[in-house]
Amino acid sequence: MMEEDEIVDGGDLGADGAVGDNSNAMDELTETMKKVNVNGVPYEPLADGEYDAIVLGTGLTECVISGILSVAGLKVLHADKNEYYGGQSASVSLEQLFDKFKESKVELPKDVYGSSRDYNIDLIPKFIIGNGDLVRLLLHCDVAKYLEFRVVEGSFVYSGSRPHKVPVTAREAMTSGLLGLWEKNRCRQFFSYVNGYNPDDPEAHEKKDLKKMTMRELFKYYALQAETIEFVGHALALYTDDTYLDKPAEVTVKKIQLYANSLLRFTKSPYLYPLYGLGELPQAFARLSAVHGGTFMLNTPIDEILYNGSEQAIGIKSDGKVATCKYIVAAPEYFREKSMPVAKVVRCYCILAEPPPHTRESGSCQIVIPAAQAKRQTDIYVLVLSADHKVTPGGRYVALVSTTVETDNPAVEIQFGLNLLGHIIDKVVTVDDVLAPRSSGNDDKVFLSRGYDATTHFQTTSADVFDLYKRIFGQNLEIQTKNASTEE
Amino acid sequence: MPERTKLLKVIILGESGVGKTSILERYVRHSFSQQYKATIGADFLSMDVIIDDKPVPLQIWDTAGQERYQSLGAAFYRGADGVLLVYDVTDARSFEGLDAWRQEFIVSANPRDPDTFPFVVLGNKIDLISRPRAVSQKKAQQWCLQKGGLTHFETSAADNINIDLAFETVARSAVKRGEEEEEFILPETVEINRKPAEEQCNC
Ligand SMILES: Nc1nc2c(ncn2[C@@H]2O[C@H](COP(=O)(O)OP(=O)(O)OP(=O)(O)O)[C@@H](O)[C@H]2O)c(=O)[nH]1
Ligand SMILES: [Mg+2]
Repeated sequence: MMEEDEIVDGGDLGADGAVGDNSNAMDELTETMKKVNVNGVPYEPLADGEYDAIVLGTGLTECVISGILSVAGLKVLHADKNEYYGGQSASVSLEQLFDKFKESKVELPKDVYGSSRDYNIDLIPKFIIGNGDLVRLLLHCDVAKYLEFRVVEGSFVYSGSRPHKVPVTAREAMTSGLLGLWEKNRCRQFFSYVNGYNPDDPEAHEKKDLKKMTMRELFKYYALQAETIEFVGHALALYTDDTYLDKPAEVTVKKIQLYANSLLRFTKSPYLYPLYGLGELPQAFARLSAVHGGTFMLNTPIDEILYNGSEQAIGIKSDGKVATCKYIVAAPEYFREKSMPVAKVVRCYCILAEPPPHTRESGSCQIVIPAAQAKRQTDIYVLVLSADHKVTPGGRYVALVSTTVETDNPAVEIQFGLNLLGHIIDKVVTVDDVLAPRSSGNDDKVFLSRGYDATTHFQTTSADVFDLYKRIFGQNLEIQTKNASTEE
Repeated sequence: MPERTKLLKVIILGESGVGKTSILERYVRHSFSQQYKATIGADFLSMDVIIDDKPVPLQIWDTAGQERYQSLGAAFYRGADGVLLVYDVTDARSFEGLDAWRQEFIVSANPRDPDTFPFVVLGNKIDLISRPRAVSQKKAQQWCLQKGGLTHFETSAADNINIDLAFETVARSAVKRGEEEEEFILPETVEINRKPAEEQCNC
């Protein structure tokens, strides 16, 4: 708005500062005073021109960091090349989804799909663990007030020939078809041990040192069968593969406790999901940042990153204008040369008219297909959402089937998951690289976040926030949550 | 089921400097400051408005700098029940901007009734009569008519003219709109910081 008046000549100022000769000396002087100098070259300022930090990309990780930086009193410029928030973690309408991933434009008749704009489909859907780190971040930053959450109704695990409800109480476990296969007593003993385990209380260890003992050994101690182990490891501890078995058991025991504690809070399932889709999350943190003075610019393509003589980032250039900074925080897609693919994820978005069979008509659920069930190395995940969370028009469901790519034919790898969905009205498949930073960012002052992996919860994303914070500030992010139990 | 008064979300939109924050401050805190400070540090304020002798809780959202580069994002507009569109009667450009704000709201908030959605248009700073007016009342009314008969007031946050009326009007239309929407179902949402459910005996 105000910027328009300030544009004197559209052209870039070259290195030798060729200013138009028609303006009078006074104007010229005020113009140069407004300019930003980088390596001795004056530029038109981008927004206010000088910042402490510039954040590129409005994915969840970048927005959390942006909020934290602004709250800490730093001057932040936050830009995104897209005209919407969320980057890789945006939620889009059905038309936007199909435009993005289908080869040619498709008609979307309303009687088949409902209204395209009533869809808020996450490009990367995940559920939020009720007692997990993301909830702690939401409370710490006090942004939960911008959001509304609803519990995910069901959590299922594939076993034998169909999905089974993951039991949420011991009683449910005893009557579950899933547990029909189990040695009930041993299982009960195992859970009772896990429940009582406290790393600080040797009494509760029952002479087992879980810092040394592997999870495989702990399972063996309770003589649990393969199906049970699969269920505990993948549906409760939420591992994507079986490498955890040979690591110290304590980590896994804590993960099972997290699941159980989250369940205690929300009873139906341990998962939460925001109304209108995950795209709301980055926007809530962006608002926090804006409220504390952060400047936001969507639709801002980055022409160039500016470096000083020691190859450290000191600014960005967009549309010929420049803003300077002490460092840049960015999503890896803004710096392809500084990031590398660490995995590939295949995702298939499906539109359904009914919830998948055997999910008890749940308006939202997760189905975990443990790797071994599909004869793979990594699990396949199915997430189902509906109008319950305002992400589809009434009477329509979206199911996302995803897994880490293991072969040259990813489309075939997800077939196992698609087979569980019943009739599919339409679908699109995409394969994406998961990018990770090549270096910590301390040398070049470019701190990159990680791409989003195949897991269906935010634990890895939250871990990335903590890691990014530590790389930037050299210390751990201390989380203070108003403890629920201290209220009233 | 206990009757639940729905919280009404009202957002204030308009170009920078037209007086959005001043209008909100006048209404909620009964105060006014001459000094201009671009809004930072505000998000929403809550306040009950009395309609037909009943208190209706309002949550009023001010913008916080994200609008400077048209970067408010869909979530900001989401779930709004009413909008105050503000211009400055001494600034023609602020009036011309209204159309874009209304359009942006409709695209981003995606209300099911864009043509009848409760927009109330406010021509602010009407106390500045000594300055030439840049937007005549007639011109503004014509625009409101064109957009399907939007309510229009001329206001002053400085002299407290029509401020309460503006909020009452937008709240009243929002309440009415809520009543007309039969199929409106509030999804059961949860507090994320809620206490763990009572420890049940799971035996
Ligand atoms: N005379 C007069 N001045 C007003 C009135 N309302 C606001 N102002 C002045 O106009 C200036 C801008 O008011 P704000 O309320 O900060 O405007 P805003 O729309 O919130 O601006 P941004 O936060 O930048 O978007 C301030 O100096 C106010 O004192 C009014 O009714 N009459
Ligand atoms: Mg303001």
